Amino acid sequence: MERREPEVVLRYTMAERVVHWVVAVSFLYLLLTGLALFSPPFYWLAGLLGGGPVIRYWHPVVGVVFFAALVVMLLLWARDMKLEPHDREWLRHLRDYAAGREEAVPESGRFNAGQKLLFYLQFLAGVLLLASGVVLWFPLSFGRLLREASFVVHDLAATAAMGALILHVYMGVFVIRGSWEAITRGTVSRRWAQAHHGLWYRQLRPASSRSPQRGLPEARA
Amino acid sequence: MPRVGLEVKAVSASKGATPGLGHPATGEVTKLVDVSVCIGCKACEVACKEWNDLPPSPDRPFTGSYQTLPDLEYNFWQLIKFNEVQRDGRLVWTLTKFQCMHCEDPGCLRACPAPGAIVQYANGIVDFVQENCIGCQFCVTGCPFDVPRISPTTGKVYKCTLCSDRVAAGLEPACVKACPTNAISFGTRPKMLAQAEQRVQQLRADGYTNAAVYNPEGVGGTHVVYVLPYGDAPDIYGLPQNPRVTFVNLWKGPLKWLGNTVLFGGILGAVLHYFRFGPREANGKGSGAAAGEKVQ
Repeated sequence: MERREPEVVLRYTMAERVVHWVVAVSFLYLLLTGLALFSPPFYWLAGLLGGGPVIRYWHPVVGVVFFAALVVMLLLWARDMKLEPHDREWLRHLRDYAAGREEAVPESGRFNAGQKLLFYLQFLAGVLLLASGVVLWFPLSFGRLLREASFVVHDLAATAAMGALILHVYMGVFVIRGSWEAITRGTVSRRWAQAHHGLWYRQLRPASSRSPQRGLPEARA
Repeated sequence: MPRVGLEVKAVSASKGATPGLGHPATGEVTKLVDVSVCIGCKACEVACKEWNDLPPSPDRPFTGSYQTLPDLEYNFWQLIKFNEVQRDGRLVWTLTKFQCMHCEDPGCLRACPAPGAIVQYANGIVDFVQENCIGCQFCVTGCPFDVPRISPTTGKVYKCTLCSDRVAAGLEPACVKACPTNAISFGTRPKMLAQAEQRVQQLRADGYTNAAVYNPEGVGGTHVVYVLPYGDAPDIYGLPQNPRVTFVNLWKGPLKWLGNTVLFGGILGAVLHYFRFGPREANGKGSGAAAGEKVQ
């Protein structure tokens, strides 16, 4: 590959990407096996993933892995996920953002307000899923009322997380071109950074001029 | 699956699956437990373990109770509960043979996600089919009587079968056969309900004015019914006052509907949004310059 002035900036460090994909893969597994356990029309997913007893064994175990990775993710991104006053402004332009008129939307930081809210929704769902999931895991250790409530909470939280996931995957894979590259190889073009996360990009400039190739694949090689 | 004597009525996680065609000539069966004549001899416990070839349970520390074990176990499907309670200023010692109630509307079967792991026969018996069981224990919570128990070695759930194998062969359940005082009867449902009613009348005439049949409506009636001398307080016999499967209904009704809406609505919404607005490109080559800015 020809070395040139870098046109890309680092958006997600290696650690961030690994954690993201641990969360993503474990969540996908939990969603598919959870659907099989939730509703008989989806039970064929159990056969696809090794059969009923196998998914019953692994679902809670993977759930713990998922939650642990989610906590690491929160620690990594806590600063960037903090809600700022300009996020309120961004949310007022949600309609513009959804319609693809991003030039009309106020600039956002490393994550826009939608991403932040989605993250908090997912994290809250994760907490509820873990708490209720432990009860479902060891039903005989808990009282009847708690067990019954846990079923309802687990289902509601999973439904919310599933809805959030559909939105997230759709935005990341289909709408915002370049996001896939960002979360796999770690980099985005300068133009991408400016267009989608203007505030972040401007904060980044001094840092990136100090060490323009930090974290780039060729720099690591 | 034509099985004479075990015609199927309902199967877990299967919509409308009724593989059996016929209905037993005897109709529904019912086991009647008259706690007023139980002497607590535990012959039924022994007969149950013997007929069903259940391995012995490990010894427990003695807790000062006549009760064999604190609770049902995966290899201990029926238990006489010994309870001492105060009632009208005097001691009442209740001896209650406790096991699966074989509900007409079984919460375990409704909660079970594994097709064919729980079946309800046309004669009313609810049976677990361990080869289809995945060990999730949803039935443990689905059951309003707290009956199913998981085996730590097989990871499958077990409970009283009402001796479905014996019943299919025209025999009465092992516990019924063993009972020396006829505290347990077994027969067709109308006959057992009539017998229960008659016994309640006797008890009332004897001064047990609250005597009643325990056949809870919240689960559509049960195929194990009790005659209780203090029928107004089933809890003193360790039986729930008003068992229901509310949460399973909530789960299999509105929650399932909501989940389907979010899943399919979300995917459909995303597809339509893509058709209407499409992707957003901001990744062209030489992007820095194109964005009107020269950076590093």
